[in-house]
Amino acid sequence: MRDEMHSANGHVATEALDASVSLPPIVVETQGLKKTYGGKIAVPVLRGIDLQIRAGTFVAIVGQSGSGKSTLLHMLGALDMPTAGRVLINGVDLATLEEDELALLRSEEIGFIFQFHHLLDELTCLENALMPITIRHGTETEEQRARVIRLLQRVGLEPHLHKRPDEMSGGQSQRCALVRALANAPKIVLADEPTGNLDSRSGQEVFALMREVNRASGVAFVMITHDDRLAQAADRIFLVENGVLQEVEKK
Amino acid sequence: MPAPAGRSIVPKAIRFELRLALRHLRVGGRQTLLTVSVVAAGVIIVIFMSALVFGLRQKLTADLTEAIPHITVQVEEVKPLPLAHIPGAATGASSSRIEQQASQQKYLDNWSQAADIVRRLPSVRTVAPAVREQGFASKGRHTVGVSVVGIEPALQDEVAPVSKYLFTGHYLGLSSEEIVIEGQLADELQVGLGERIRLTAKTDAHATFTIIGIYNTNQGRSEAYVTRRMAQSLFGLGTSVTVIFVKVRDLFEADHVAQHLTALLPYEARSWSREFPGFRASLRGRSAIVYLISAFSLISSSFAIASVLVVSVLQKSPQIGILKSMGARRRQILWVFIFEGLGVAIVGSVLGAVLGTALVYFLTFIRQPVTQMGQVSEQLFPVAVLPGYIALAMLAAITSTVIAAVLPARRAARLNPVEVMR
Repeated sequence: MRDEMHSANGHVATEALDASVSLPPIVVETQGLKKTYGGKIAVPVLRGIDLQIRAGTFVAIVGQSGSGKSTLLHMLGALDMPTAGRVLINGVDLATLEEDELALLRSEEIGFIFQFHHLLDELTCLENALMPITIRHGTETEEQRARVIRLLQRVGLEPHLHKRPDEMSGGQSQRCALVRALANAPKIVLADEPTGNLDSRSGQEVFALMREVNRASGVAFVMITHDDRLAQAADRIFLVENGVLQEVEKK
Repeated sequence: MPAPAGRSIVPKAIRFELRLALRHLRVGGRQTLLTVSVVAAGVIIVIFMSALVFGLRQKLTADLTEAIPHITVQVEEVKPLPLAHIPGAATGASSSRIEQQASQQKYLDNWSQAADIVRRLPSVRTVAPAVREQGFASKGRHTVGVSVVGIEPALQDEVAPVSKYLFTGHYLGLSSEEIVIEGQLADELQVGLGERIRLTAKTDAHATFTIIGIYNTNQGRSEAYVTRRMAQSLFGLGTSVTVIFVKVRDLFEADHVAQHLTALLPYEARSWSREFPGFRASLRGRSAIVYLISAFSLISSSFAIASVLVVSVLQKSPQIGILKSMGARRRQILWVFIFEGLGVAIVGSVLGAVLGTALVYFLTFIRQPVTQMGQVSEQLFPVAVLPGYIALAMLAAITSTVIAAVLPARRAARLNPVEVMR
């Protein structure tokens, strides 16, 4: 009986030990992901991609222009549908979701940052940053507002809260876009060349902030970049070439 | 989005969409202004056209209601029938002789009884028994055929007003030796106020009268008014009259009342519409024109709105992609653009209603130039401001605008976010 107890305890202990030792949960996974652009002549872009990204990981994706990096990113964010294969976000197969469920998933689990900040000109910096919340809930709570303002303060935008995008610099706008991507506390942020349109100093700043948020909150980042220095600062680097993905050793 | 989490009458579910739509409109500036003006112009046209046409209709109706008797009751004229219409006449029979018309009684001998019956109908306003006969008016060498009307002036004024059209002298208080004549008749006889003219009946009976009033209705009816008593004696009618003039409460009920009276009385009752058969049709035609113009102006303004919104959707395609990537659902995008259209429609139609009403109001100040002595200056444009019609025009403008907004909005909602953000 004592032995049994012991063994039972031991079993539990082992399991707990396994969990603590094992890696963080997978937030994004692809299985045999393929994308072919239609028309009379089918153009295969991605030929079968298997990828697993765990919570808190900062992933850089590099590759030639037109190699399909952006297509991959869009499919990870449920903005584009694969020709074959599966995308799982937090273990949920995107192919099983209706359009409104996809919208909900984008709103709750995913943040986007684009090469161009894509802030709405009609809204102020703060309103833009709050947008994922207001889209989802109609309006934000005091708590959510305070949180977003704190994030904006952290990226140095406090003096610009009520400015419109056209009154802000590119770097400021991109930092605002970063806060917007984080507004709903997503599990993963997908960034498509977030520094591509910035001078190198602003680019460095934005990247540093992304890395900082990633380390502080455990949000996974998938960032497409052409900047090798930034790629080297990520946790993992993947190269998209000839429609396949391969991990590249960091220098 | 100024108020954070504040209380608002807007349901939470559409608050973001509404705010964004309003922000679009505000930032849209000149484009928004243009669209709003298009809607406003449509509503102005509708209000303006309807005010003019319905105003004209009201004025014509009022004029007619006032100027003429609605129903005249008189002895039915017996007309010769063609042989073919006589049942039982031998087929192929023909007549080459025109028989002398049998003499007919032309007067109403028990008119006061008949007048009582007419007066008792609730739809009847005024009953005026009168003598109307043809005669000749002469002065010196001039002799002119004239329709002599023997009346009680006060009563007759309610049925076919004369006082209103007098440009010299008086009419009420007409005594037995006095006469009021039409201006054209005065011209032909070359007589003026205070002069004496002679009236002669077909029987050669005659009497002389002093002109105490000259009127002009511009309707070219050559009539001369004397007292009923005088006319009765001139035409040898004893105490009978030849006609009962009737005024009803609703002009357009006259046909109905006339039918009813013909059934009730041993006489014939004729409605005004038999004298003016085109009047009703022309009113109806004008109304149809208003409806057509209204419909076309609303349709064209909704096309304009649709095209502006299509452009707006194209311009905002990247934004739609962004909204979608931020988790916006199709329905939310749809609502943003519908609210945009609705905003334009509401502001435009209110603006159009205000401006259109103001325009119509200013039109009422334009007066007709006075061309004749004694003529009362009238509005050049008789207009009618019909609140119901304005409300209808606004509602139609809003509906057509929203419909015009829905199509581009649906397209916007279906856009593929990846396509539009490239």
